[in-house]
Formats: sequence, structure tokens, C-alpha cells
Amino acid sequence: MNRSKVVVIKGKGVIDPAGDMARTKIVQMLSLGFRNLTGAREAGEGLASLFARGERIGIKINTIGGRKISTRPELSLSLAGLLIKNGQPDKNIVIWDRTNRELRDAGYSLSDSPTALKVFATDTSGAGYETEVFSHRNIGSLFSTIQSNFVTASISLAILKDHGLAGVTAGMKNYFGAIHNPNKYHDSHCDPFIAELFESGPIKDKHRLSILDALVVQYHRGPSFHTQWAERSGTLIFSLDPVAADAVGWRLIEELRSKKGLPSLKEEDREPVYLSTAEKLGLGRVGADSIEVIEDEI
Amino acid sequence: MKRRRFCETLAGTGFLLGTGAGATLNRVWAFQNTANLSHVEARYYKKHPDREIECLLCPRLCKLGDKERGYCGVRQNDGGTYYTLVYGKACSANIDPIEKKPFFHFLPGTDAFSIATAGCNVNCKFCQNWQISQVRAEQVPHFDLPPVEVAAAAERTGCRSVAYTYTEPTVFFEYMYDSAVEARRKGLKNCVVTAGHIQPEPLQDLLKVVDAVKIDLKAFRQDFYKEYVRGELQPVLESIRMVSRSKVWLEIVYLVIPTLNDAEQDIRSMCRWMAKEIGRDIPLHFTRFQPMYLVKNLPPTPISTLESLRDIAIQEEMHYVYVGNVPGHSAENTYCPRCRSTVIERFGMQVKAVALNKGACGSCQYPIPGIWA
Repeated sequence: MNRSKVVVIKGKGVIDPAGDMARTKIVQMLSLGFRNLTGAREAGEGLASLFARGERIGIKINTIGGRKISTRPELSLSLAGLLIKNGQPDKNIVIWDRTNRELRDAGYSLSDSPTALKVFATDTSGAGYETEVFSHRNIGSLFSTIQSNFVTASISLAILKDHGLAGVTAGMKNYFGAIHNPNKYHDSHCDPFIAELFESGPIKDKHRLSILDALVVQYHRGPSFHTQWAERSGTLIFSLDPVAADAVGWRLIEELRSKKGLPSLKEEDREPVYLSTAEKLGLGRVGADSIEVIEDEI
Repeated sequence: MKRRRFCETLAGTGFLLGTGAGATLNRVWAFQNTANLSHVEARYYKKHPDREIECLLCPRLCKLGDKERGYCGVRQNDGGTYYTLVYGKACSANIDPIEKKPFFHFLPGTDAFSIATAGCNVNCKFCQNWQISQVRAEQVPHFDLPPVEVAAAAERTGCRSVAYTYTEPTVFFEYMYDSAVEARRKGLKNCVVTAGHIQPEPLQDLLKVVDAVKIDLKAFRQDFYKEYVRGELQPVLESIRMVSRSKVWLEIVYLVIPTLNDAEQDIRSMCRWMAKEIGRDIPLHFTRFQPMYLVKNLPPTPISTLESLRDIAIQEEMHYVYVGNVPGHSAENTYCPRCRSTVIERFGMQVKAVALNKGACGSCQYPIPGIWA
């Protein structure tokens, strides 16, 4: 069986001393990431292999952590810009999350223009949740109509963080923000809920790509922001395998924890066990031997 | 007439009223901004370092980082302080017959001013009110109805009691408690309809301000609680014990779901446990299940099943055993355990006749336990 490919791009100087992001550098990191991920010579060619022209593309971000530890606007807007530059109609792209308040708090300007790039949340008037419960294994939830109706292809653009319950929150758990009741799925380290939610049709059938925002990584006491345990890592992680992407994100968190003298997540009895469940469900690969990591720097 | 009186009474108060799913009135009122949540500090929690908290309200004991929501979906850690988001934010308010709860030995034939907020601390796959219980605070329309207004509205509408019901009152504990205090000041009684999934300390405090508690015992097996309720059986049994040992009136409801919790041996074990732990005088209601929420693949409970379980409970010498959600069934009535006379005759939620004399059977004077006035 072929190994899953995960691309790790480090951006030298992507974060300036004041903590601001260099958008030009982020675009370069995205372009390099797409080239390495798809083997294409140009980012546009790589994107074309992932998304058909005219698809409605959802970029699911995670903004629960406020401005300091959410998917950066510089990153999500750069990704949308790259898609638009390479032929996707801007009106077909939506950057989204659960609530408009969280989007604004994370630094996003909202837009629900029918003719332009959209940035809005499920609680926008006219969006909302489905009224029929979607049931799958242990999941019983109402899906955001953005995920279930609007988008035909989905990118999980999640912030990579330590998580007190799940161990790690990354690309797969990001879809907790696509349902109305994520609070019901935090028992037993969010397992098997994260994997089973991802396996459900509205997500699995649309998910194309995971990109982890590891520009600043909260490696301890997440998911909320704590300056003393936040590392300016300046990294983006790409994969078509959602499990492998999160597994590599997990390793990055463990490396940072080890470097800072913290116990491993296993030692704290909160390993992200949902990744093994996801592998058993055939959603992707988790073991180091099953993953080819391609690291690059720009 | 009742509904008109209710609407007219509330129309002059300045607050808007609406109903949630499962409630009895139509959606005819405008709602306030659904993002208008409360930010009242919760009771029963512990602060931990690094802005983390531990909720001590229910047996889940949620440990939450900053900005995280409890399992109930209506309590949130903000900066290391825990808040209830639904204090004074009712999503349902109705005048119901007390028999709807059901309470059969508590103020029969009277109305209860019945309120709920969003949220629940369990997740029953067969929930009958999931549209308001299995949602987060901001996902259901709600309106401002502070405790003082709850009591005032109950009094104005001629209700004898305030009922905390529809969803799970445990999750709006602070609102319920303060409303109960206000209602008592006006001479009203308070009753609670709960799954009993609550920690002993808050329950003990609650019992000081309420008069009756109905506990939904979902099954008598932990594996059922784990799979279908997402909760624990033992804390519920502990709650039942605690209420029974207080001065608060207790009734038990058991929703019978075909093939899932209708095993005769389980019912027999439950009745024996009840007889030993809380006594034979506690009313036990076997109610009929309707397919709902995540359990739509099963039929409504056959009436014969309800009757057969009732027979078992009677064999086990439980004194007051009812069949619910079957309007017109003879087991809706209260019978004297000694002379078998009909003490209270009911049809559905209506009381047709009462033959009680100062809390005793009108025929043989055998005392019938309950709160009758």
C-alpha cells in the first residue's frame, strides 16, 4: 500500500518580531506546498488537479480561540486568493465557521456578497443548520447548511493545537464546527466521535484537502491561548490524507512538548486516540511508517 | 379561554413570549436576538490554574478550558469563570395541566406555569423534545423571562405551581432555583421534571425550595444508560433516594421503549429496588414511547406491553402504578390500594372526578399519599 504524503513547509521570517504575518511569504508557502503535494510544476496546476473549475469550495476555518489562536485571516485569504488566481470564481468560495461573532473576533471582515468571495458563519441569516438530524454510527447532529448544501468541495484549514480532551485538535476535529452539537462529543477523548463525524457523508464525500495552520502552535494547555506555551513555528502542513495530516501535526506538538520538558500526551493520558479509530475506519494512515513526510523551507 | 387569558395577561407585561418544540402553544410571538445570552456566574464549579474550571453540577464533572462549553451546551468558561448562558432566557413558557408532567399525586386538576431553557446534560436517543434540549443556548429562539416575572406570570394566570420542565432543568439550575424562591414568595408551589442526573450537593439545595420532583428513570440497566442516554444510572438512583428521603413529593416515570428497556426481569428488579429503597407509595408511571429523534426504527409501545409491565409492578406490590400517553386507559385513574375504589378519575390530562376526603380515600378513608392542596 502506498504511503500517504504529508508536506511540511516552514516559512523563514513568516512571523515578524511583533507577531504579524508576512502575507507574501504565506502565499509562497502555499504555492510550494501545493507543488510538493501534487507534484505539479506550478501551484495552479496542482490546484486544478484537486478542484474542478466552478466548484463551490468551502474553506472551513477554526476561530473559537479568538485573534491569538485561530486560523489566521492572512492564511485563509491567501488560500482563497490562490484559488481565485488560478481560475476559481471568487463567488464560489466561502471561508466559514460556526458564528459571525467568532469570525469577527478572530479578525475577519464578513461578506455574504453573491458576487464575491464570501466570509460568513452558520448563524448568518439564510444559512443555519439542517432541520433533520443526520445519524451516523454514534453521531446524531444537524449539519451546517454551508457544509451540507452550499459547498461541493471542502478544505479543512484548521489551527493546530493541543486539546485538553482530544489530545490534539487539527483538521479532522475542525469539522466539529460544522455541526450544531459538538459539546456532545467530548467524552472519552472525543473518540470515536471525531472519526465517525468525519466519516459521515456531508464531510467525507466533500473533503479534499487538509491544511494545518501551525504558524503559531499551542502545544500545551490548549485549546485556549496561553502565551507561555505557544510556539512561533512558522509552519504549514498539507495532505490529501486527513488522518496523516493530523498525525504529523500531533508529532509536531510532541516535539515541542519534549523540547520544552513537558510530558508526552500519552504520559498525560490524552493521546489523540481518534486517529487510530480513523485509520480503522479507512479514513487514512496514522503510523510513521505509513506516512511519507516531505519537508521544505522557504 | 385559558390560552387567551394567558396571552392577554402577558401582553401587558412588556416581555415577549414564545415556545419551543414540544410545547403546546403555537409560534406566534416575536423573539429577541438569539445571540442575547445571559452571562451570570454559575454555581457549583471549581476554578483550576490556567483559566480552567471543573463543573460540579452534574455527574459528568466537565473539565473545561477557556472558551469551552459544557456537555449541556449552555454553560461556558470565559476567562476562568464559569457562566450560565440561559439565566432568565426561557425558550418555552406555557400553562399546562399538572397531569401533563405527569404528576398524579400533586395538586391534581391544577395548572402549572411551565418553563424551560435550551440544553440538556444527557443525550437520549429517543428524546421527545430534542429540538430544544439537544441544542446550544444560541440555537433556539428565547426571550427574557427573569425569575420575578416567572412568578408574577404564574400568579396572574392562576397557576398553582411553576414547573421546570421540557428540557433538563439541572442545566438551568440557577434560573430554576431563583424562580422557585420568587414563586414561593407568592405562595406558589414548585415542581421539577428531571432525569435526575445531578450531583448531590445542588440537588440537596434544590430540595429546599421545591415541592415535587418527577424523575425520568430511563431504564434499570447501566448499559442502556451508556448507549441510549449517554449518562450513568447510579447517580440517578442516588437522586431518587435523596428526593424520597426529603419532604419533597416524588413520582417516577419510565418511558417504555419496545425491545430496548421493556424486559420483564428489569422491571421486576426495578420495582423491588423501589420497594426497598423508596417505598411502595411512590407513584410509578409507565408511559408510551413514540418514535422520535434518533430512534425512529421502532414502533410506538404496544399498549399490551404497558399493561403487562404494570401488572408486574402490581405483583411487586407497588401501590400506585399508571399507564401514560394512552388517553382513556383505565390505568390513568388513581385507585385506593385497600378498597380499590376510584379515588381520582382521569381522561388524558383531564381530571374528571376526585373522590378524596382530606387526602384519604372517599370510600374507606385509607390515606392516599400526595400533596393535594
